[in-house]
Amino acid sequence: MLRPLPMKHVRLLVLTEDLQRASLALAQAESFHADTRPPEEARLTGAPGRRYGELFRIAHARLDKIGKLTPSGNAPQLQEVRVILEPELQSVTEWLGEIWSECSRYEERHRRLDDEERLVKEQEAALANFANLDIDLGMLRKKTRFLDFYVGIVPRENLHRLEGAVKLADHFLYPYMTSGDNTHLVIVGPAGTKEAQLGSVLQAAGFQHLALPEGLDREPDSKLAELSRRRREIEEERRTLDSRFARWSAGFEGRLQDAQRVLLLAEPLVILDPAIRSSGHLAYLAGWSPAYALQRLRERLEEGLEHPFTLETRDPRSDERPLVPTVPVRNRLLQPFSMLVKQYGIPQYGEIDPTPLFAATFLLMFGSMFGDVGQGAVIAAVAWYWRPRLGRFYLFGIMAGLSSVAFGFLFGSLFGYEQLLPALWMSPLHDPILMLRLALAWGVLFLATACTLAIYNRLVVGNLAGAIFGPHGLINLLFYLSLVWGGLNLAIGEAFGLLPLFLATGSLLVLAVDGWRHLEAPLGEKILVVFIQTLETVISYVSNTLSFLRIAAFSLNHVALAIAIFTLADMMGTFGRVVTIVLGNLFMILLEGGIVLIQVLRLEFYEGFARYFSGEGHEFTPLRMRRTGGN
Amino acid sequence: MSFADQAYLNTRVSIMAARLFDPVQIAAMAEEDLQTLAGRFDLAPILDQSLGSRAKSRAIEQALIQTLLSELTLLIRPMGPQARALILSWGRLFALINLKTLIRGKLYDLDGDEIAENLYELPSNVRLDLPHKDLFRAENVLELLRRLEQGPYRLIARQAREIYELRHEPFALEATIDQRYFAALAHQVAQFHDANLQPLQRLVGALLDRADLMWLLRFRFRYGLSPSETFYHLVPSFGLMHRERLLELVNLDAIESVLAALPPPLDKLSTHSASIIDVQKRMGTHLYREALHTLRDERPGVARALAYLILRRMDLQLLFALIQGGLLELPRDIVRIAVELAEPNCPADTTLSEASKPRARD
Repeated sequence: MLRPLPMKHVRLLVLTEDLQRASLALAQAESFHADTRPPEEARLTGAPGRRYGELFRIAHARLDKIGKLTPSGNAPQLQEVRVILEPELQSVTEWLGEIWSECSRYEERHRRLDDEERLVKEQEAALANFANLDIDLGMLRKKTRFLDFYVGIVPRENLHRLEGAVKLADHFLYPYMTSGDNTHLVIVGPAGTKEAQLGSVLQAAGFQHLALPEGLDREPDSKLAELSRRRREIEEERRTLDSRFARWSAGFEGRLQDAQRVLLLAEPLVILDPAIRSSGHLAYLAGWSPAYALQRLRERLEEGLEHPFTLETRDPRSDERPLVPTVPVRNRLLQPFSMLVKQYGIPQYGEIDPTPLFAATFLLMFGSMFGDVGQGAVIAAVAWYWRPRLGRFYLFGIMAGLSSVAFGFLFGSLFGYEQLLPALWMSPLHDPILMLRLALAWGVLFLATACTLAIYNRLVVGNLAGAIFGPHGLINLLFYLSLVWGGLNLAIGEAFGLLPLFLATGSLLVLAVDGWRHLEAPLGEKILVVFIQTLETVISYVSNTLSFLRIAAFSLNHVALAIAIFTLADMMGTFGRVVTIVLGNLFMILLEGGIVLIQVLRLEFYEGFARYFSGEGHEFTPLRMRRTGGN
Repeated sequence: MSFADQAYLNTRVSIMAARLFDPVQIAAMAEEDLQTLAGRFDLAPILDQSLGSRAKSRAIEQALIQTLLSELTLLIRPMGPQARALILSWGRLFALINLKTLIRGKLYDLDGDEIAENLYELPSNVRLDLPHKDLFRAENVLELLRRLEQGPYRLIARQAREIYELRHEPFALEATIDQRYFAALAHQVAQFHDANLQPLQRLVGALLDRADLMWLLRFRFRYGLSPSETFYHLVPSFGLMHRERLLELVNLDAIESVLAALPPPLDKLSTHSASIIDVQKRMGTHLYREALHTLRDERPGVARALAYLILRRMDLQLLFALIQGGLLELPRDIVRIAVELAEPNCPADTTLSEASKPRARD
């Protein structure tokens, strides 16, 4: 379970005319992960799928854009698997191009209507503003013999620069109102001389004229009504445009679904494209496949391909190890834990997959730090109730809750009550020293296991020096175990012991010498760095072991918190007591539960993963055929 | 920023400043062959790839930009939100180049792959808040502008649309984008109310001075824009090219008059300039000096960090020019001219008298 699924490197040679069929067969087998490295054969330099891929991408983008404007009812289902050749893909792409061109015109007309509506609104605002003035506004509407008038709006952020530019053209700018991002203004200046100059500036500044209606000074109400009518007309035009578009788009809904099916069938070849090379009529494809799936892969290819093909398989070479994808854990119960492991990284091929170990130690530590039958049951029940929201993660909540319940029975704790349930073992508060000792022992076991796994992982990838001398390697483990041995001797009142002292000092010396050999620096700096490194090794193992005391501390803290809540509750009346106990329990579940979760994750990631898990692998993502359209 | 953060930033900048090229180093680099040069700056793996010289050149440029932006990311770590926003605003220069490439590509109906090849890969912190995927998938300029209008760049898109629909000229559109970039930078500087303000004003002022003078000369005398329109495209600087001076300079009718009316020290830098490129080179020198002054003589870390990034960008551009010269197998003499180690002895650009004649736009 801890070891990765054995993988094989697959090399497939087919005729180029069979490429589409090969891609469909591989997608149906769902066990082929493309290897995009160029082939060793220098002549295989062609990229036969490039044009196909380009057409696919254009068609896909168009379909996506059309889909946003014409949301069709159901996503199409793929019923029949058939080969999509380039001419068919091209014709679909071109048809989608025509449809998108029409959709784009529709969008553009909508935009123009929006723009016009915006302008009408600005005009209404300007009119309302001018209506209160007691001047002849007819003067602003037309040019006079000596003066030019421009009334309009400009984006607010351009106003300051426009002011200077207008000044250079011997005009005067007067902003009279601000609405949203726009400023309403009047520009006045001498007629004739710099009209063209000003025109180009106004264009650059995004100036929009607001035509002042005729007879504004006499009948503003009728002008407002006119603008309001125009707004209604725009609304009507928009509705007409929408309904015409809806009628038009309904006519090709079926064809659009067909186009989606074509793209679904073309997709596997496009995904494989970076891994395909060719020379003349011969195409090459490489990838990775789990060893157990090879037979089925071959059968699929034999069923699907029209022409002969060659399928060669071999074990991954040691230099290829970082490139081999790792098949993720499939066990349903372990999947939520696998998601958490992925937050740290994917196991490299050959490396031990820490998920089962992580799951077991996580549940053990969480339960022991938060052992309560009632509160654990609440956590499990909430996770069950919210399973639609939590997705696969709900199992994580249920298992954490059940672990808490199990430890609750051991500790005899039910919603903080210590008297209702007979403890199968004992309450943590009855013997805190024992709890602390157990936590320390657990820490030693955890760290020693982590070091052992680190040694194994390095040996598997052929890193012998790293396994012996590297961080948390064999020498480190030897030092740690001798330190623990000596510590135990001290704990039982004896001397540290000669042998443990010799082993600890010796291993530290070996580490120092190894550090010295690998360091390139001036003598003084070398001495300082090696000294600090050695000191850091001692301190980190001691502090990391002590770090596990938090397990005992939280199990004690849980009982202590419950006692505090009951003490508070005892100071209240009946109703207050019930409320305090309920709220207290809720507080413990939310706050203490959250803190315990973080603490356990910290121990797992920092004390465990950081020691033995590189997380530098990549996940096996086999080529698959999507059976349903849509994104 | 706390005192400790300032001290850390200043130390970090001082250490990084050791990477800047000095004139002796530049002269030595200009004599090195391509492989040695690439090897020295960890670019040899790119040259070893089986790519064409254009693709190699592009990959090298991308690698140098990544170097600059990773240094930028390192420098902003100890900074507070305000300083970080300023430095990131400066770094968005490359994102705006991407935006312009996209617009230009769509305008000239270029192939998607060709546009993609010319886009820089940028870290998320200096990317513009834009729907890049939608913009890239747009099939023409109008569609591109519609997508732009849906985001925070709606005002610029609306302006750009009006400019595009009326003139079909990418120049005006790009000028609007550039203008907005520098205005944002100036706005960020104006938000400082501490010891950083003065050195930042001086440094960003030098950046704006250079941009303003070059735009002024180009817009007025190359593209024949009116004084009003030219002024509209400029961003008043904190430094020498402030609003009143710009108003005065745009009204002048010849390049010589503009150069003669420049305040010191720009007047000295620009005298005897043979062409607009010459002026550009000298303004680059002015910016270089200002940045070097900020890096060496100023205390606040933010201004020093920005000065370092400006100088580092200049250095990396120079390195890129040297490598490109090697890739294109240009004669050593031409490469020396390109990195300003030698004066050109041929008219590399329009002479002043020629450029002085206002040209009508097509």
